[in-house]
Amino acid sequence: MANGWAPFIGLIVVAIFCAGAWFAAPKGDNQTIWRSTLLLSAVAMYLMWVITFLAQLHPLISPIRYDLRSDNEIGG
Amino acid sequence: MAPTKDTMFRSADMSLTQLYISNEIGREVVSALGELGVMDFRDLNSETSAFQRTFTQEIRRLDNAERQLRYFHAQMDKAGITMRSIYDFNNPFTAPSASEIDELSDKSQSLENRVSSLNESYEQLKKREVELTEWRWVLREAGGFFDRARGQTEEIRHSLDEDDAPLLQDVEQNGQGEAAADRSFSVMNIGFVAGVIPRERIAAFERILWRTLRGNLYMNQSEIPEPIINPENNEEVSKNVFIIFAHGKDIIAKIRKISESLGADLYSVDENSELRRDQIREVNTRLSDLASVLRNTKSTLDAELTAISRNLAAWMVIIKKEKATYETLNKFSYDHQRKTLIAEAWAPTNSLGLIKSTLQDVNDRAGLSVPTIVNQIKTTKTPPTFFKSNRFTVGFQTIIDAYGTIKYREVNPALPAIVTFPFFFAVMFGDMGHGIILLAASLAMIYYEKRLLRSKLDELFSMIFYGRYIVFMMGLFSIYTGALYCDMFSKELPLFKSMWEWNDNGNGGIGPGSHRVEGYTYPFGLDWRWHDTDNDLLFSNSYKMKLSILLGWCHMTFSLVWSLVNARYFHTPIDIWGNFVPGMIFFQSIFGYLSFTIVYKWCVDWAARGINPPSLLNMLILMFLQPGTLENPEEPLYQGQATIQVILLMMALVCVPVLLFLKPMYLRWEHNKARALGYRGIGENTRVSALDDDDDEGQLLNGGGRESFGDDEDGIAMITQDIGHGEDHEEFEFSEVMIHQVIHTIEFCLNCVSHTASYLRLWALSLAHQRLSIVLWEMTMKIAFGFTGITGSIIMVAVFYMWFVLTVVVLCVMEGTSAMLHSLRLHWVEAMSKHFMGDGIPFEPFSFKTLLEEDPVE
Repeated sequence: MANGWAPFIGLIVVAIFCAGAWFAAPKGDNQTIWRSTLLLSAVAMYLMWVITFLAQLHPLISPIRYDLRSDNEIGG
Repeated sequence: MAPTKDTMFRSADMSLTQLYISNEIGREVVSALGELGVMDFRDLNSETSAFQRTFTQEIRRLDNAERQLRYFHAQMDKAGITMRSIYDFNNPFTAPSASEIDELSDKSQSLENRVSSLNESYEQLKKREVELTEWRWVLREAGGFFDRARGQTEEIRHSLDEDDAPLLQDVEQNGQGEAAADRSFSVMNIGFVAGVIPRERIAAFERILWRTLRGNLYMNQSEIPEPIINPENNEEVSKNVFIIFAHGKDIIAKIRKISESLGADLYSVDENSELRRDQIREVNTRLSDLASVLRNTKSTLDAELTAISRNLAAWMVIIKKEKATYETLNKFSYDHQRKTLIAEAWAPTNSLGLIKSTLQDVNDRAGLSVPTIVNQIKTTKTPPTFFKSNRFTVGFQTIIDAYGTIKYREVNPALPAIVTFPFFFAVMFGDMGHGIILLAASLAMIYYEKRLLRSKLDELFSMIFYGRYIVFMMGLFSIYTGALYCDMFSKELPLFKSMWEWNDNGNGGIGPGSHRVEGYTYPFGLDWRWHDTDNDLLFSNSYKMKLSILLGWCHMTFSLVWSLVNARYFHTPIDIWGNFVPGMIFFQSIFGYLSFTIVYKWCVDWAARGINPPSLLNMLILMFLQPGTLENPEEPLYQGQATIQVILLMMALVCVPVLLFLKPMYLRWEHNKARALGYRGIGENTRVSALDDDDDEGQLLNGGGRESFGDDEDGIAMITQDIGHGEDHEEFEFSEVMIHQVIHTIEFCLNCVSHTASYLRLWALSLAHQRLSIVLWEMTMKIAFGFTGITGSIIMVAVFYMWFVLTVVVLCVMEGTSAMLHSLRLHWVEAMSKHFMGDGIPFEPFSFKTLLEEDPVE
């Protein structure tokens, strides 16, 4: 479980970003739009990353090459 | 009550305002408010027809002026003069004074007279010219006929004696003596008719003549090489010249009649060749005279139109605004005694200050001592929904509005949709390269925004241009999801060290299998080594399917929470306890649990435990069909799995009756309590008295009700309160509430299942997109890489262009459209069904800006 902490580290990073975005959002009429857009984007992107990361944390299958011979010729 | 700041989260706070405007400045006030564009005027004369309203005369006059301007425009189009663009004016939006409008309408009247008279004379001259041209052709062609025909007089006479001889025996036999030629046709009592007829009628003409005259004629015709232009509609018609010789006056008259009825124009031709030559000369001089007159008329007309074209756009804008102003004024109620206009309008509470200062300005300018009075009225009517949108948000707001008008002050789904809509698109469209193309296209559209806004775009492109900021967000997220999927134009992106290494196969090569780099997980996105492997799809399908379920769960939970926010805002706790809480528990105990098991299964190192991971799908099915049993009881997902699943299922089942009965029962209880205390709705009372046939009482109730706030002793109609009854006081009907709740419950429970499944479209579309781009690469670029040398490079260039065009057209435009539609569906159906009420009234302010946008002057 060497990398098991990565999602939590990511979570902290996103939380810091969100807090920063909340306060750094430009004042004025569009403040709500700035805040919601930045926060939601960060959360959505984090979610997708973390799902992808977790899916590969303990994979049940490993890649199997196909078309081995031609690969060898090109690669070799 | 301090007005709060309006945000996109909820629609703006509106107030119903009443304006008392002095009659003299009514026009100026309304036109100033039109420039402001923040007031939605209510029609206070809805029962009067359009003709009975106060300002019908003015509107009729402006209609006439508008028609004249359109006439100028049509004439300019005909003459090929372009109008000076509306964007070339410094400020076409200044409000004109009433006298300027009068001046303008007078001017356009006189200009119309002038232009139309010029036009009329031009058309008449043109017609004359056509006639003369035709005559010239007849004279020219007829000369030939005469020469030929004269040679045959002998024969004609011969044939007259012999009845059975064919009339047209030998047309080409010309070489007969001149002696015969001297004999005139008139001697032989042979008459002739010459003229011009459209070419497509010539066959019919010939046939009819032949049949009616039983062949007693001699006809000659020839084609006019150049088409004749009809001045009425500027169409080209090809025509033929004909000349018909026949015997006897009656027959000649008959021929004339037939040819006129078939649309032929007859011209007089002299049979004497000398006279004919004179005629031709005369026609030619008249033609050249006519041409110079025509030229003059044309240039005068063009000069007139060019002068008009310089100001036409501004005039059109002015007239359009003026007409809209009077149409709005017609919605006002007019107090004849006090010379006051009374208007009612919805306006954002935050704009009231602006409105007041604008009205003050108008008053000061007019120098009127009587101020315009602005009243705020308290009302039970539902205010219209209004969001102040900007260039960025308008596209997203339109997406939501297309589904339904948001209820006044409810949570606006467009705000989260700014992110979730393009994000779900990107999950389906995930490819870094395609994302870059989208981003570049949208950036170009944003950069050239001003120029594109002014130019005329075709329908498809204007739609894309309207959503340029949506495309921008889509591009950004597609680049991100493409990086996570590790796809760029279907090729891998080796950003980091792979977590897989190929096995040695013993004889120096690298083997079909692979092993994991110990303790290392690929940090960002899918490992690129999965590309082009045998079991690539096996892995990515499982990953993307679970990704879809998890994202769907997040999105639906997120949307469901908005129903809590709405219930709290509208102070309806029964919606929280009767709808939100049981719904949330139901959803979470089934699909929340599914999401949990997905993540849990990922987090467990099954190989280290030495047991086979259980199948989640079978687990879920068994959870319903045989609660308490597991597929493989020796190898559970976790300890106590069976018990927890039974508890969760029980929780979900308990929630169904709560969802079904709590809200209707509570409403019934509340209603009965209110009745017991003696409260009754107004509408209810009236109905009861009507049922009792107690007319007097009913009228008294009705009339009294209206009198108290409707009429005052001077007969000023304050129309606000008495409209809209029955609208707010709905009668409580338990059966209706119950049926509604039953439908809601069934829908909610079934939808939890079907909507979760519906999010699998994220997987399906992203799979389709990836496969399609792989196929495209393999069919084009991969083949082209096989060639070498000069031919190789030529093929490469050609194939590259083909590949690129197909990528843009098929993968970006077509696939993008389909992904966008699916994302749209996920928002409209899957997300918005969880919280959206959507029974609002759209805010339609009286605004010159929107007026000109809807009906642009160009």
